Amino acid sequence: MGWNDYTSNDNTCRAEISLLGGSMFQRWSANLLLGVLLVASLPAVAVTIKVAGSTTVLPILTEAAKQYRVIHPELNLTVSGGGSGMGVANIERGTIDIGMASRPLSKGEAGRIGDTTNIIAVARDAVAIVVSKAVYESGVTQLSLSQIAAIYRGEIRNWRELGGLDARILVIDKEASRGTRHVFADVVLGNPRARAAGATIITGSNNEEQSVISRSDQAIGMLSNAWLNDRVRAIAVGEGDAAVLPSADNVANGRYIIKRDLNIIVRKQSSDEVKGFVDFLHSAQGQAIVQTVGFHSVR
Amino acid sequence: MILRWWLSTSALLSSLTIILVLGFLLQSSWPLIQQQGLASLIGTEWYPFESLFGMLPALIGTLWAVALALFIALPCGVAAAILCAELLPKSLRGSVRFGMELMAGVPSVVYGLLGMWLLLPLLESQLNLLTGRTLLAAGLLLALMILPTIMVLSEDAIRAVRQSQREAAKNLGIGWDATLWRVLLPQAWPGIRVATLLATGRAMGETVAVMLVVGSIDRIPEPFYNFLQPAQTLTSRIGREMAEASVGSLHWAALLFCGLILAIIAMGIALLSERRRAVI
Repeated sequence: MGWNDYTSNDNTCRAEISLLGGSMFQRWSANLLLGVLLVASLPAVAVTIKVAGSTTVLPILTEAAKQYRVIHPELNLTVSGGGSGMGVANIERGTIDIGMASRPLSKGEAGRIGDTTNIIAVARDAVAIVVSKAVYESGVTQLSLSQIAAIYRGEIRNWRELGGLDARILVIDKEASRGTRHVFADVVLGNPRARAAGATIITGSNNEEQSVISRSDQAIGMLSNAWLNDRVRAIAVGEGDAAVLPSADNVANGRYIIKRDLNIIVRKQSSDEVKGFVDFLHSAQGQAIVQTVGFHSVR
Repeated sequence: MILRWWLSTSALLSSLTIILVLGFLLQSSWPLIQQQGLASLIGTEWYPFESLFGMLPALIGTLWAVALALFIALPCGVAAAILCAELLPKSLRGSVRFGMELMAGVPSVVYGLLGMWLLLPLLESQLNLLTGRTLLAAGLLLALMILPTIMVLSEDAIRAVRQSQREAAKNLGIGWDATLWRVLLPQAWPGIRVATLLATGRAMGETVAVMLVVGSIDRIPEPFYNFLQPAQTLTSRIGREMAEASVGSLHWAALLFCGLILAIIAMGIALLSERRRAVI
C-alpha cells in the first residue's frame, strides 16, 4: 500500500521498519514516529539566528549558513548585508544575533558595546586597489601608496599622469561606514575617517562598486579580494620593485599592507545555537568555506 | 450612529498620525537643532564623523532633481492628457490611460534598476561623461515616475470641462487651438496645478530609484547649475546612512532633520494646493 510505495526503492528503510513487525503495526508506528518528529521539531524551528552587516563578510556567512543548515535543519538562519556600520549598530539595537564587520570596532563603538560583546575574527582579507580592465591594459599595473592617496585627494585627475590612457579618473569612494573604506583610508590616507576630496561618486556594497568599475573604462576603487574578476583588476601596491599584489602569500607574510581581519560580533550572553554556529565557522569545514569564497583562513 | 462614530474616529486618527509623525521628527532631530541651530541648513559640508552636518548640498541636489523632473514631465504629461481627452477615439484613449496607470504601479526600485542598466550607460556614451550618475539621471528617472500622475490627473481635469463650453466655442467659430488655449486649459488649470504639486511631492520623496543613480556624493555641483555632475539628495542620504547611524546619536538626529525638512516642504506643497483650490 501507500507506505510500501514510498519505500519500495529504499531497502534500508524497509529493513528498519520490518524490524517493528507486521504491516498494521508498521503503518501505525510510522504515523506515531512522524507525529513525534513533527512535535519535536516544531519548537526548534522557531529558533532563528539573524546575521547582518558587512557585505565583505557576507559570502562567508551565507555559504556557512547553507552548510550549517544541512547539519542542523532545525535552525533558521537569515543572512543579510548592509555594511559593517549597520552590523555594529544592529547588534547594539539588539535586532540581530550576529553582526558582521570587516574592520575593528571604532573607539565610540567599543565604548558602547565592548563590554557586552565579543568580536571574533573568522577570516583574513586584503583590500585590493582595483581599476577597470582598460586602465590596467593601458599600463597602470602598479601604484604607490602616495599616488593612490593623491588620486583620492584630487591631486591627480587623469590616468595619463600615471602612465596610462588619456582619460579622467573615475574615483569611487565608499560610504563612510563601510569597513573596506576604514581600512583603505587608514592605510592610504592616514586616518580611517579621512575625507576624500577627489572622489567622484560614492557607492555602498562591494557588489555595487564592482558593477560600476566593470562598466567603466576609467575607474579606480577599493574592493575586497574576493570581488576581483576579468573586468575588475587588482593592481600591485608599493614603490617600484617592492610593489606586490594582494595574494594569499603577500597577505600572510605582511608585504601587502592594506589588509584586515573579517570579524563577527556576538553578544557575550548569546544562545547555544549562536555559539554552535560560531564554533562551526572556526572548524575545518568553516575555514574551508572561507578559502572557497576567496579569503584567507585565520587558522 | 455607528457610521458617524466610525467616520469621525478614522478622521481623528489620521489627523493624529500626521501630528505624531511631525512630533517624532522634531523630537528626534532636536539634538541637532539645539547644538548646531538652523545654521546647518546652509552648511556646505556633510562629514558625520567630524560632526559637520551641512544640509545645503543635499537640499540643492533635491531641488535640482525635482526641477529637472518637472521640466520634462510637465509638458509631456499635459500634452498626453490633451491628446487623450480631446483628440483620441475612445478605444485608443482607454489603452493609453491604462498604460499610464500601469506605469504608476511599477515599483520604484524597478525604475532604479532600469536606470542603472539602461540610462546610465546611455548618458555616459552620449554626453561623454565621467559617470552617468548625475542629477540629470535622477531627474530623468523621476520624470518617468511622475509622468503618470501628471497625465492621469490632468486628463481628468480637461475632461471635466463642460461639453457646453466646447460647443459654445465651436458655435462662435473659434478654432481648435484657440479653444484649447483660451477655454480648455484655463478651466482645467486648477486640476493641472494640483497634479503638478502632487507629482512634486512624489518626486521629492522618492528614495530608492534616486539613490541608485544620483552618485550620492555630498558636494554642491560646480558651478551650482551643472546638473551633469554627481550629487546627493535628502532622500538618498537618508537611504544610504540610516542603517549605520546609532539611535540617539547626532548623526541620527541629522538624518531625521533631513526627513523633517522634506516633511515641511511636502506640507507646504499640500497647503499651497489646498489654498489654490479654495481660491478658484
